[in-house]
Amino acid sequence: MTPALEATGLGVRYRRTWALRDCSLAVPAGRVAALVGPNGAGKTTLMHAAVGLLRPARGSVRVAGEAAFVAQDKPLYDSFTVAEMLAFGRRMNRRWDGDAAAGRLGALGIPLDRKVSGLSGGQQAQVAVTLALAVRPDLLVLDEPLANLDPLARHDVMRSIMAEVAERELTVLLSSHVVSDLEETCDWLVVLNGGRLQVSGDIEELLDGHRVLTGPDGASAAGVRVVSASRTGRQVSMLVRGACPPDPRWRARRPGLEELVMGYLRSPESAALPDLTGVGA
Amino acid sequence: MIWVTWRQHRAQILVTAGFLALLGVLLLASAIEASRYVAEHAPPGCPGPALACGELAVALGRRYDAVYSVFGWMPLVAPALIGAFWGAPLLGREYERGTHRLAWTQSVPVWRWLTVKLSVLGAAVVAGGLLLSLMVSLWRPVFRTGVDSTFGNIGVFNMVGVEPAAWWLYAFALGTLAGSLFRRTLPAMALAVAGVAVAMFTLFQLSDHYAEPARVELSGTVLLDDPDARLVSAAWVEPSGKEVAEPAGSGCPRRVDVGQSSRNADAWQACLFGKGYRYAVYYHPASRFWRFQWTEAGILAVASAAFCGLAVRRTLRRPG
Repeated sequence: MTPALEATGLGVRYRRTWALRDCSLAVPAGRVAALVGPNGAGKTTLMHAAVGLLRPARGSVRVAGEAAFVAQDKPLYDSFTVAEMLAFGRRMNRRWDGDAAAGRLGALGIPLDRKVSGLSGGQQAQVAVTLALAVRPDLLVLDEPLANLDPLARHDVMRSIMAEVAERELTVLLSSHVVSDLEETCDWLVVLNGGRLQVSGDIEELLDGHRVLTGPDGASAAGVRVVSASRTGRQVSMLVRGACPPDPRWRARRPGLEELVMGYLRSPESAALPDLTGVGA
Repeated sequence: MIWVTWRQHRAQILVTAGFLALLGVLLLASAIEASRYVAEHAPPGCPGPALACGELAVALGRRYDAVYSVFGWMPLVAPALIGAFWGAPLLGREYERGTHRLAWTQSVPVWRWLTVKLSVLGAAVVAGGLLLSLMVSLWRPVFRTGVDSTFGNIGVFNMVGVEPAAWWLYAFALGTLAGSLFRRTLPAMALAVAGVAVAMFTLFQLSDHYAEPARVELSGTVLLDDPDARLVSAAWVEPSGKEVAEPAGSGCPRRVDVGQSSRNADAWQACLFGKGYRYAVYYHPASRFWRFQWTEAGILAVASAAFCGLAVRRTLRRPG
């Protein structure tokens, strides 16, 4: 199956500094992929390259089918009414499901004759997401869709997106620097750090393939692929990939998503990347 | 896409149209009033060059000046406003508000979005400029029978023919380019206004060279008998035929005039003419009106095309 989003050797440069380098990844169709990383990791850059707002300096990025994008801050035209925003979408796109869009906004209680500037932040986010979904995209790219939203609005926006995912084959790539936002909804994880790709893979497989080890200082970790380690007093805690060490003093358990992400972000030189030859390429 | 262009820029379009309509009403009313005045007060054979028509000409002149003072600022200010409010926000506002990330991630490709906007708004701007030119050209003859100044007066020259359209288009293109450079509206507006002022000053200086000036040698007077000519330069011609900027050793006494009087200068000139000096005037006759119109419009059109091309290039290169 062809991936919904595929980047090969992708490099993006702003003047002299590389915002993204040598990034190769593939997100299979139908996945909800979380793009996480600290601020300035290159998340927005990767998304802009994917939707054609940036031209890569190296490599390429390819989307199978139509992509829709909701930028950070959910830009809309302030002076337009909600109905005019829908008219904008209809006239700017080949595919347009206006009935579904109007229905969605109706169900959310957003009046069509209201000016965009008169909507709450959550309502504006819903309008932006509705516009993106009305294009009936194959890939929906959302840059920090939950930032600046209150908990209730976060939940509503996420539910709208997930409802659409459940209905048809839609691949979603959404970024956040708050991992807990993504835990329940995403099934694919992409970790970017300092412009480099660290992790890309199925979340369940990643969690199954890693262990958090705790044991006394000095326990043998020979033959183990340590992602990162931290020391508290005489206790050592490690995130490891693959098999556990034979030393019986270690206690092992499955990591949580946040632990996994933090483990990788703490040691930028570690990486967990699938063999890309198997996917698409 | 055309609807989108209209919806996003309708405020500018409506204000400009409203302004032109208002000006049209003013000009129409003034022309009707003047025609009535002529019909009621004109002696037979007037308006015309006859002596009896003098009073009528003065009365019409007063009416003309009163209305002209209302829109005489337009040659400079109107293009500046077009650049600031039509051109600068086109890209500047999109970048500033981040809405370019919305507009340029729809199915319509960026190049088409920009091309449609530039051509629709550019055409509207040209139409507006031509409408202004048409209205002024219809209005002026009511007052100015036999006395034309569309060529000699640079302000009027810039309001008739194809000049307003060329200037408006230039300002629009410049504002658009400025918006793509600064990615913010306010600095782009400032650059558009400054750019229009600089271009107007530069072309004013340059316009003397649009054609080789005509030369005429006057004797007995230093005034050219053509009220609508553009003077380029003048010089004295010695009896030997040599042209000099300042006659030296002519033997004519030259004294400085005091206040408003030009008695001493007149006497000096009369003395020079008496000794066989002639006065050479280099000028552009009014018959070159269209040549100058098209030359200037051509320069502005090439500049507009270059600005638009640069704006498109810059936008497509780094749309993010």
